[in-house]
Amino acid sequence: MKVCFVTTGATAPFTALIESVLSPSSLDAFLKEGYTHLLVQYGTAKEIYTDRAKAAQTYLQQSQKNRELEIGGMDFNPDGLKEQFKLVQESKGLVISHAGSGSILEALRYQIPLAVVPNTLLLDNHQEELAVAMERSNYLLRGDVKNLAPAIAKSSDFRAKMAQFPPLTSGKHRETKSFADIMDETMGFLD
Amino acid sequence: MPPPPPLSFTLALLTTLLVVTSLRLLAILPRHPFRPPPPRKRPLASRILIVLGSGGHTHEMFRLLRELDTRKWTHRTYVVSSGDAFSAQWVRRFEGELEGRVRDAERRRGKGDGEDEDEDGGRGDVAAVGKNGHVNVNGNAKIGGNGGGEKPKEAEAEAEVGKGRGRGGQERPYCIGPEHYDIANIPRARHIHQSLLTTPLTCLRTLFSAFHPLLSAPSPLPTPPHLPHTPYERAATDLPALILTNGPATAVLVVLAALTLRFFDYRGAERRGLCRTIYVESFARVKTLSLSGRCLVWVVDRFLVQWEELWGVGRGRGEFCGVLV
Repeated sequence: MKVCFVTTGATAPFTALIESVLSPSSLDAFLKEGYTHLLVQYGTAKEIYTDRAKAAQTYLQQSQKNRELEIGGMDFNPDGLKEQFKLVQESKGLVISHAGSGSILEALRYQIPLAVVPNTLLLDNHQEELAVAMERSNYLLRGDVKNLAPAIAKSSDFRAKMAQFPPLTSGKHRETKSFADIMDETMGFLD
Repeated sequence: MPPPPPLSFTLALLTTLLVVTSLRLLAILPRHPFRPPPPRKRPLASRILIVLGSGGHTHEMFRLLRELDTRKWTHRTYVVSSGDAFSAQWVRRFEGELEGRVRDAERRRGKGDGEDEDEDGGRGDVAAVGKNGHVNVNGNAKIGGNGGGEKPKEAEAEAEVGKGRGRGGQERPYCIGPEHYDIANIPRARHIHQSLLTTPLTCLRTLFSAFHPLLSAPSPLPTPPHLPHTPYERAATDLPALILTNGPATAVLVVLAALTLRFFDYRGAERRGLCRTIYVESFARVKTLSLSGRCLVWVVDRFLVQWEELWGVGRGRGEFCGVLV
């Protein structure tokens, strides 16, 4: 079993990501990398998901591969996405996420390969900037919503070279300060 | 006697006020790069005020707070924008985790019971917290109501432990449970799609309501007036020692309110070194500051950024200590 979990944001789902992940080119990439399960958190965009999932099933059937890749969906879990992340962790899979900082922080806590897809439609949004900076430090992979296949193809190799987040040392500082220390330092509490 | 010329008098008055205000602002506003204040002894109890915002800000704030020591920050006031049930829910979960951590420590210490007998006092501390969710230091005012089944002997023992700590001041008790935190709701500074014309009005309303959680935290268990207050209760009703924010619009107004208190040295806010402020720019901001960040970079005591690109932003005010979330 090898699971790919896709999260698109619960309140304002990133529908282009749902469409992209269920497109034939992405499905081919999943099959090639040996993924067996594709789980999509569609949030409030159920109609789009159902429609695209049906098309994806038809595509898989046509190419006689519908037994190899199973597609499932979920709307929203008030308890968070712990279970899904654990599933990915255990099956050595991949998480594909929108580039919201909350989702990034949550997924990286599980030390699992993460591909983030910035929403290019959002104006004055810094998702792209954050994704570029995070990719440069090898914390995650950056995916393009128009073509996800390269990111999916890179995911297995990325597992080996991904950097730990949050980093234990911050590069230029020899001594890293924890936020608790910073708080004390600001007050002048030295004990 | 002829009345003084009104115009020159008003001008003189205004000039004086302007000079006095500027001098005072110069005195209380932080110097360019942060320099640690002279070391001082940590008081027995301190209150911290934490400004929460919408989803992303709240998420990052609780990541920052993951190592929060409840022995040092004995009362937490969480400021939440009205209508934000999500953040309030997160506060309760976080405080629950803080409690759980102490109970785990208690269990671990309990296991080593038979092996070492030296650390008796220390073990007593945690156990006492486990029962009441609260330990008082002087042992003269009982606030954390005992469970029905608890024997008075145990309560006495707890008070003894408390006394020892009060004198020595070495081992501080964990301050967890509902009497050690509160959630303050203040009206939103700006609603989504709100017109720019009315924004100053709602901001003003937020500014006024921001004074409330700054001045005092509500005490859910009032001590009878004949009993002296514990240091913990005093800290809860005092000004906060530290204010933490990470960028919601509300934060700008809470910081301004805190600055006002320091300007007038209200209840010794400036003299006693209270109401110090830390701003942490969102981890999502790599190259540019957020609007709140740009407003607060000259005002807060410490301005922390999480990406090297922003290091030294605001004429050297931005400090980079690595990723903090």
